[in-house]
Amino acid sequence: MYTLTIAVRSLGRNKRRMVITTLATALAGWIMLVYSALLDGMVRTMERTVVSLELGDLQIHAEGYRRDPDLYLRISRGEELADELSKRGLLSAPRLYTFALAASGVSSAGAELRGIDVEREARVSEIHKHVRHGSWLDTTDPRGIVLGAKLARSMNAKVGSEVVLLGQAADGSMANDLYQVRGVLKTISERADRSGLFLTEAAFRELMVLPEGHHELALARGKHDLNAAKSIASSEAKGAEVMTWRELQPAVAQMLDSSVAGRFILMFIMYGAISMVILNATLMSVFERIREFGVMKAIGVTPFQVGFVIFLEVMLQALAASAIALATGLPLAFYLQRHGWNLSSFAGDMSFAGIAMEPIWYAQVSVAGVATAIGALFAIVALASLYPGIKAAIIRPLEAIYHR
Amino acid sequence: MKNSLLPPFALSLLCSAPHPAVAAPEPLDVAALLDRIDDMWRGDASEAVVSMTVKTANYERSMKMEAWSLGEERTLIRIIEPLKEKGSATLKSGNNIYTYLPKTDRTIRLTSGMMGGSWMGSHFTNDDLVKESRLRQDYDAKLSFQGERGGQNLIEITLLPKEGAAVVWGKIVTTVDAGSLMPLETLYYDEDMAVARTARFTDIGNLGGRQVPTVMTMIPSDKPKEFTRIKYEKLDLGVKLDDAFFSVNRLKRTR
Repeated sequence: MYTLTIAVRSLGRNKRRMVITTLATALAGWIMLVYSALLDGMVRTMERTVVSLELGDLQIHAEGYRRDPDLYLRISRGEELADELSKRGLLSAPRLYTFALAASGVSSAGAELRGIDVEREARVSEIHKHVRHGSWLDTTDPRGIVLGAKLARSMNAKVGSEVVLLGQAADGSMANDLYQVRGVLKTISERADRSGLFLTEAAFRELMVLPEGHHELALARGKHDLNAAKSIASSEAKGAEVMTWRELQPAVAQMLDSSVAGRFILMFIMYGAISMVILNATLMSVFERIREFGVMKAIGVTPFQVGFVIFLEVMLQALAASAIALATGLPLAFYLQRHGWNLSSFAGDMSFAGIAMEPIWYAQVSVAGVATAIGALFAIVALASLYPGIKAAIIRPLEAIYHR
Repeated sequence: MKNSLLPPFALSLLCSAPHPAVAAPEPLDVAALLDRIDDMWRGDASEAVVSMTVKTANYERSMKMEAWSLGEERTLIRIIEPLKEKGSATLKSGNNIYTYLPKTDRTIRLTSGMMGGSWMGSHFTNDDLVKESRLRQDYDAKLSFQGERGGQNLIEITLLPKEGAAVVWGKIVTTVDAGSLMPLETLYYDEDMAVARTARFTDIGNLGGRQVPTVMTMIPSDKPKEFTRIKYEKLDLGVKLDDAFFSVNRLKRTR
């Protein structure tokens, strides 16, 4: 107990140094706290964008479809498979794809037609919540289509515009029909934005004369982890190709992974610098008190207790620094989680590795993120106290008392 | 379409004017021979009825169409059968291709992105429709073989792209029967100088009072079991057509 009292009093003897050290530590903690939250937010947003807006956690295709997306290369029993998978806890949405020319007024553009099972799609993806203008597909409106943001712009189409689709149907005939724009999407992915044209599965089948089969089955992993979900899907969909979103978008997965590593690199640098500051300040304070430590040792204080005093001093500062970092960093992080950081003045449409991002950067405050930032702060500070602590502990009383 | 070598595309076949075969001049003038062959296939203006059969791994379809041409740059094709597509029309006017769709009552100008796409589900691309009239502009022709091969007296002409020309084919080789000057076969090589597709001209018959091959079969090399076959049913080279006939506004009108 005396050690704590001694530690507190010692800290009070050089207030300016203590305040500067504590504030520097607090600043490092604050930066890591906010940065972690922003990074977590970005990772989460991107993962969410990738997974829940477009890919799904997993996808099933007919073997070879991904290499050569051929209208005729289909999963034959998509609905049946979807039912079997849902029994095993994996919800799925069958999809159809092809390319066609979309024309509205005098402008036309190449479009990737996506036939959507509206009801099932809603169980797997959140794309229906991502409509900027108008509304999402509705099975009661088979002529209603939804356009990607850039496609709508390049076609000069708005909600209510008529769009003619022209392509080659599965029977070789000219697929053509007239549709009306129901909705225009928000930013989803580079591909969907530039060329995505969504229509109901029934409309797709009628247009393309494609009575059966699906090109893709997008899966939500539910309570399973990604690998478990993959093995379940593989066992159900024999002969088809099952891939996780990480395999489908390795660049994104890798980037998200490396952003975690990036956090540790920054943490290493920040906290490394801070440990030097603390080491220096503590060492100075130890040298100033060599005689004092000599006296302590002379009256029977053990080396361990002496070292512990130094440790406590440093820890008290870390405690104060953490409190400051939390008190100032957390509200900011929560604010950014709620309102986001609007980057639109710096950048219009952002996209990383083909994944479009909204220009508002939302943070994500997590217990793990905060605990890592603060925990690592304590750890590094504790480490920095070792050398001064040992230095004080091994002092020889007689030499120390005569030290000047 | 004057000066194009051979019809890589149906239309040149449909819209061409067969002249009586004349013996090859001596010494062989390649340009003159090409002009002669070209003239076999196209008049100043033409009206034709043509049937097209397309066989792919996934479908087989037959269509019947009427086609009109004027000069090199104007072609209009209108589908008569099947009923589902009756009235669909394609207009080639210079560099542009317009498609009229009776189902939606819309006329669409094909974008550059669509040019590589299949025309009417056949093995021809929309680009074939535009580029076929430019072969002589984009390629240099030379005589690459003359004499007997496989028991036939043949003339072989090779077209190589001119420097800087934006072309699809790395080489085009046409074989002509030396006696009748009837084209027999045209091979289209890709940029790696591998045969990408083969056009065969068969069934020499009387069309518009002249002997010409009435059937052309196009076979893609990567799918040797697939083909597009075009057969003349009727050809009239004495028609009078004017530019207005090939206007976008006329596209939807049936005659």
